[in-house]
Amino acid sequence: MRFLSQSIGLPVRDPSGEPIGVIADLIVAIGNRYPPVTGLVARTDRRLIHLPWRNVEHLDDGGATLRVPTIDIGKFRQRQDEILLKQDLLDKQIVDIEGRKVIRVNDVSLDEVGRGLRVVAVDVGAAGLLRRMGVEGPARRVARGLGRAVPERYIDWEDVDPLEGTIASVRLRVPHARLAQLHPADLASIIEELTPRDRLGVLGVLNDEAFADVVEEMEPDTQVEVLEDLEPARAADILEEMSPDDAADLVADLSDRSRDEILALMEADEAAEVRDLLAFPEDSAGGLMTTELVAVPETMTASQAIERLRELEPDAETIYYVYVVDNDDRLVGVLSLRDLIVAQPDTPIAEVMIKEPVAVGVLEPAESVAETIAHYNLLAIPVVDDAGRLAGIVTVDDAIDTVAPSAWRRRLPRVFSRAQHDPGPGGEPMAAAGRRAGGSRR
Amino acid sequence: MTSGRGLREAVSASRVTSRLPHLPVPRLRGRFRRRGLLAFLAVMGPGLIAGVAGNDAGGLTTYSVMGAETGLTLLWIFPITILILAVVQEMVARLGVITGQGLSDLIRERFGVRWTAFAMVVLLVANVANTIANLAGAAAALDIFGVPKWLTVPVVAVAIWGLVLFASYRIVERVFLGVMVVFLAYPVAAVLATPDWTPVARAFVTPSLSMNPTTLLLMVAVVGTTITPYMQFYLQSAVAEKGIGEEELRLEQADAVAGSVWTNLIAVFIVVAAAAATAGLGVTISSAADAAQALEPVAGPWAEALFGIGLFGASVLAATIMPISTAFVICEAFGWESGVGKRFGDAPIFFGIYTFVLAVGAVLVLLVAESALVPIIVGSQNLQGLLLPVVLVFLVLLVNDRRLMGGHANGRWTNLLAWGSVIVVIALDAVMLGVALLGSLGVSLG
Repeated sequence: MRFLSQSIGLPVRDPSGEPIGVIADLIVAIGNRYPPVTGLVARTDRRLIHLPWRNVEHLDDGGATLRVPTIDIGKFRQRQDEILLKQDLLDKQIVDIEGRKVIRVNDVSLDEVGRGLRVVAVDVGAAGLLRRMGVEGPARRVARGLGRAVPERYIDWEDVDPLEGTIASVRLRVPHARLAQLHPADLASIIEELTPRDRLGVLGVLNDEAFADVVEEMEPDTQVEVLEDLEPARAADILEEMSPDDAADLVADLSDRSRDEILALMEADEAAEVRDLLAFPEDSAGGLMTTELVAVPETMTASQAIERLRELEPDAETIYYVYVVDNDDRLVGVLSLRDLIVAQPDTPIAEVMIKEPVAVGVLEPAESVAETIAHYNLLAIPVVDDAGRLAGIVTVDDAIDTVAPSAWRRRLPRVFSRAQHDPGPGGEPMAAAGRRAGGSRR
Repeated sequence: MTSGRGLREAVSASRVTSRLPHLPVPRLRGRFRRRGLLAFLAVMGPGLIAGVAGNDAGGLTTYSVMGAETGLTLLWIFPITILILAVVQEMVARLGVITGQGLSDLIRERFGVRWTAFAMVVLLVANVANTIANLAGAAAALDIFGVPKWLTVPVVAVAIWGLVLFASYRIVERVFLGVMVVFLAYPVAAVLATPDWTPVARAFVTPSLSMNPTTLLLMVAVVGTTITPYMQFYLQSAVAEKGIGEEELRLEQADAVAGSVWTNLIAVFIVVAAAAATAGLGVTISSAADAAQALEPVAGPWAEALFGIGLFGASVLAATIMPISTAFVICEAFGWESGVGKRFGDAPIFFGIYTFVLAVGAVLVLLVAESALVPIIVGSQNLQGLLLPVVLVFLVLLVNDRRLMGGHANGRWTNLLAWGSVIVVIALDAVMLGVALLGSLGVSLG
């Protein structure tokens, strides 16, 4: 096992042992489980030269020895899957997938596997910092004298997701395969910590649907930044995949120019839905509601209604209630999933539904919507217009966000929160439940 | 969202109308609308705040001392500091906008661990000195109202320590800006006390270089307090944090330059007011009450109280931001956990640095005599001036990195100004150190 920092600056010798330069960098091919070193960059008196690994006899603490007497000083062309360890990885930020956070690389740990040398881990601990400053040995002796150990921390390469980086030598195509598999909420909080370029690098590998899931979990400011950095057409695709209420919230925060541009590129009916939602004040039922819901005509039977549910595959937060509307789209009843399942298949739903269900008007203040939901222990509440027509629903997670906005919650000092046993209405447990309800749909 | 579209289509099919009923409600949403002046103000922030923050206890005291001790003779330095500060802040803002990263991140990524450690030690020393200056400022301010130092310093330090952990940083920033309104008393005082502006105008264009060590020390202190190392880190982080995009680069540059002009303009008025109050007689300012005389034309008998409030507000708020930003910047550079929302156990180094800076500042101020508060403040600004070149060199190297900045790297003319500024600051520092060294050997040039 050896460290990158200990290899940089070692001499490079030709087969006769004559030094021709020093190691300036190591090249590895990423995309492999443990990326192999494919070459090294040597600094001779005049220039940087590229030496393919097959020309290197061995690399140890005494330096690198070449197996060929003459070297081909062809210009180094970095391939798309290759990175320079010192230039592109050392001191840069990576994502620690296991720990779900962004962290800085202090050193890179390499190991010999067969004849090759591979990257096995990145050093993110104090030992790496001390080594880079050239005081690892003395520091370890001091620590031992005090009966303690120098803290070491390594992240296995399998759990490392390199970022495109601000100083990347080429436009890297990092697959971000494992990162893309994280829960959208985890990925969103990682994205918050990245620079705009890195954000787009990571999000760029996601499909529209996954992208939209992550965007829904971001802070409003980050949502706007990310969306405005995208091509308008892609931004429109992402918005189409978001639930209409979240999309409307986001669109409302865009600059006027981006808003018009992006809405124009969305599919007409989706854009219309967003525009409709935009008409409501943000802190009203209309501003909170989503138009994604399951509504059936009162003439259906229980089995027909279940069949409809099966066709629609609604999200977790909307599957529990089926709303019943009359010919004029007026809300006449509601069925819980349980009502439907326990009812005889051919029973008309009008017989088992709860008539005159609890509902709120579109302009009802958000606070009182939340109170109503809490009072009746609902997972969602229907929203109706002046004529009693079903306009949408407000789900419990969105209602909670109005009582305890997530941004505010995050800003709360948690330094002493271990001592707080009563989190109150805005505290963590309730908020966490809201998150779960929102997140479990995936 | 797998079923999103399918669901909506199906719902439309089963419902008579899928579209929402159109209500005559105006569009009320949108937390921020950016148009015209509002667009300007939305971006108009970090640079102006950094500029205003330059007028903390260090600035206020140094400028007052300068006006009282040297009258208008050193006013010519301000056109130069305006230029240098504008050049520096513009580069910092550009770096922040284009890279979206903080200054310490970039130093780490570009120069490695050793240089980062060096830069962070420099910043730590500069910021501890500045914290000392501001706690000393708070003590000096309350001294006017008869509150003793041994009471002020511990109470303020503990209050700050708690405040940052419990209040939002944004609120602190707002209050900070609010108190700065007191500084507007200076232009009024300067105008009321100066019937004839010809000497002032002449002083601007009459460089008088004196080899007098006291004068040189004052000049370094003025440069140090006007172009504080801390401000550059603060500005870049704020720009990066705000997510100001490339399309808003021009606005942000304007903001940075406006901040530089503002801070210098206020500085000039403080010097003129102080010079007028003491009639340029070379009076030594030994307490905040002495410095307060400059505000007598505006406030009459209330001058001391007004000055005391302004100095106290500026001091406390700068002392609030200084330790926390030090902790943030250093932790970012080394990749340590940071954030006021974290638990102590999760971010021990962050809270360690934060507490250390505040505690060292408080203890040192407690140790010095009451009469040494003003010299301590000016001395700490000297240190800022001496450490500044380190930060400037890193900055200019970074902003010239084409891999980082692409087409936004410095051009030939910008570089001329940038390196010119660095050289002027280094030369001033070198001359001051040289004269001080010679002075300690018994040789006097003044």
